[in-house]
Amino acid sequence: MVGMGAVRRELRGSAIALVMVAVTTLVVYALTQSLEVRRGSVIYLLPVLLAGWHLGLIPALVAAVAGVLWSGYFFFSPYYSFYLARPNEILNLVLFMVVAGVTSHLANSMKTQTEIARKREKEMGDLYAFSRRLAGASSAADIYLAIQEHLASLVQRKVVLFGTGDGGDRDAKSDQSALSQRVHVAIAEVQAGRTLATTVDDGAGDIWLIRRVSQKNADFGVIAIDLGSVPPSDIEEVRKRVDDVLSDAAATLERLDVARALNDAKMRSETELLREALIGSVSHELRTPLASILGAATVLSKSAVIAKDERLTSLAGVVRDEADRLNNDIQNLLDATRISREQIRPRQEWIEPQDIVNSALERRRRRLSAHTLSLDVDSNLPFIYVDPVLVEQAFGQIVDNAAKYSPPGSPITVAAKRNGRDVVLSVHDEGVGLTAQENAQLGERFFRGARHAATTSGSGLGLWIAKAFVTANGGKIEAASAGADQGTTVSIHLPFATPASQPEVGPDE
Amino acid sequence: MNEANPVVLVVDDEVQIRRFLRAGLELDGFAVQDAETGADALRWATLKPPDLVILDLGLPDMDGAEVLERLRAWSSVPLIVLSVRSNEAEKVRLLESGADDYVVKPFGMAELLARAHAAMRRHVRVSTGEPVVKVGPLAIDLAARIVTINGARVMLTPKEYRLLQLLAQHAGNVVTHQFLLKEVWGSPHLHDTHYLRIFVRKLRQKIEVDPTQPRILLTELGVGYRLVVPEGASQVAAAN
Repeated sequence: MVGMGAVRRELRGSAIALVMVAVTTLVVYALTQSLEVRRGSVIYLLPVLLAGWHLGLIPALVAAVAGVLWSGYFFFSPYYSFYLARPNEILNLVLFMVVAGVTSHLANSMKTQTEIARKREKEMGDLYAFSRRLAGASSAADIYLAIQEHLASLVQRKVVLFGTGDGGDRDAKSDQSALSQRVHVAIAEVQAGRTLATTVDDGAGDIWLIRRVSQKNADFGVIAIDLGSVPPSDIEEVRKRVDDVLSDAAATLERLDVARALNDAKMRSETELLREALIGSVSHELRTPLASILGAATVLSKSAVIAKDERLTSLAGVVRDEADRLNNDIQNLLDATRISREQIRPRQEWIEPQDIVNSALERRRRRLSAHTLSLDVDSNLPFIYVDPVLVEQAFGQIVDNAAKYSPPGSPITVAAKRNGRDVVLSVHDEGVGLTAQENAQLGERFFRGARHAATTSGSGLGLWIAKAFVTANGGKIEAASAGADQGTTVSIHLPFATPASQPEVGPDE
Repeated sequence: MNEANPVVLVVDDEVQIRRFLRAGLELDGFAVQDAETGADALRWATLKPPDLVILDLGLPDMDGAEVLERLRAWSSVPLIVLSVRSNEAEKVRLLESGADDYVVKPFGMAELLARAHAAMRRHVRVSTGEPVVKVGPLAIDLAARIVTINGARVMLTPKEYRLLQLLAQHAGNVVTHQFLLKEVWGSPHLHDTHYLRIFVRKLRQKIEVDPTQPRILLTELGVGYRLVVPEGASQVAAAN
């Protein structure tokens, strides 16, 4: 498609070419008059060459045709006439015509090549400078500035960056506000992620290319480039060049971003380690005095003076129970740090499920003394292959919760049953129950039901720890409740292998 | 302090722990000797051979395990270790190197005394050759190889008897899986814990009133088994 502008340009070039031919003709005329030169048609190649170099192919061809005509006039007999007498002279002129045509074409393409080469050289230089800036960039702001300047030099128009966070767009505030409404709409589209790149006419004849700085990462912002009044056919090419520039820049931004993320992570993990070391040492420091307190209380309660006074005995009991509770909380803290450092390595062995239940209950005999405890344990349960210590701690936690969240005197039922391929250890209480929402959040780290936060102490770690211990042994914990104040049943499901793989022992003698 | 009172050597670097141990042990009729360090403990053990050692593992100068090892080189004195929770592997290791039992910090005095008396009782039994071990209603006549509950004979297979015999010899103290497996089935079966589970289940069905809630043959999770001596059943210190 050739526009009116192109036609006008070619006409103007042709006119100039004709003027050059005319000047040449004047010179030739002067020469033939004074020196009787009869062989000089080659001189008409000069305007062809000049036109081809400076004006393009069509003016060069126009110059060639005009040159042939004037050569015929001056250099071929009959002289000073456009008429040619001999056939070989016609051939001569045709040859001239061909030479002129080739010359004009060569001149024109050489000119084009030179221009392209020069442009390439500049672009390469720019790109090299740009790469060097990227390589040396130590902050995102450096990179954004480099992008902006490099692209601006590439398209020779305005480049505006958006949402680059690090102050790269601070200077650009005035540029941003100067943009037309239609450009703003397009930028909003890209920022919202509806498209990665788009072009828009700003209403004043300029085409704007708008795209994300990085195709992968929306965090690196959006760039708007004024392409000027480029023909639509050229947009694709500009777009490719912009892509090249931005892919380098985005890679550098990502490198910086990764470095920053790594740095953050390192700082976070150091903080985490410090926190855990602190919990570890504080817990250890607390345990020694606790051992003294608890031990001393048990000695006191046995002494003759105190043993005969029930009030004093119960006081000694309070000291002991509270020390015991505190010890439990400390154990939970230690377990929680072990879990978050992924230091749970189950030492699995075959175990009788009832041993886990009995062991947990025995340890809590004092704490459970206020409740009516009933046991429902199947005899001949299959053996399970778990870490008995971890499962006992998890089960004990559930028993503790039942005792804690049900009124004194109320019954607690502990059961160990076989259910399909699971052995299920469960604890049922008739206490505060669970709302659907509480049940959903149960077992989250630090979760405590809002209904009891004020009345019952706790860290919200217990069930989270229990879950981690049971999961580490391939089991799961489930809680069921008909609702608030309807009681709760919490159960640990532990898979046992098929009965065929139950352990066997050789004959007894 | 009466010369007849059994001597207990308390090895712990924490002064408050030593204080309540001293009070509790003296109330129970022991004469208490304190040691703050491992070196101190070894010196006192040779200077004035105790009837019982209570050994804390965290000592300033050496590991409690090392004190135990060096003591066991020449002495079979009953020894109870004060341990921390959730380290079953360490408990087993200490029991294997000759500790008679352990209590987990924090512990009550009654628990410690029960373990201590059981360990001392075994010591006396070994030296006097006393043939019958009584654990609540259960009586095990080690000489006649007869087991009775409330006087009624209980029939056991040879391996069941061997298992019960080993537990009875350590009545009141924990016996590790490894020890039982080695003694009953031999070294190749050191890790076949499931043999024990199966035989203990059979034994419980014969000696327990309710095998699902054992009162005599208890499981120490991750460590071993213990025949329970009812509290107050054996007052060695008082009797001596």
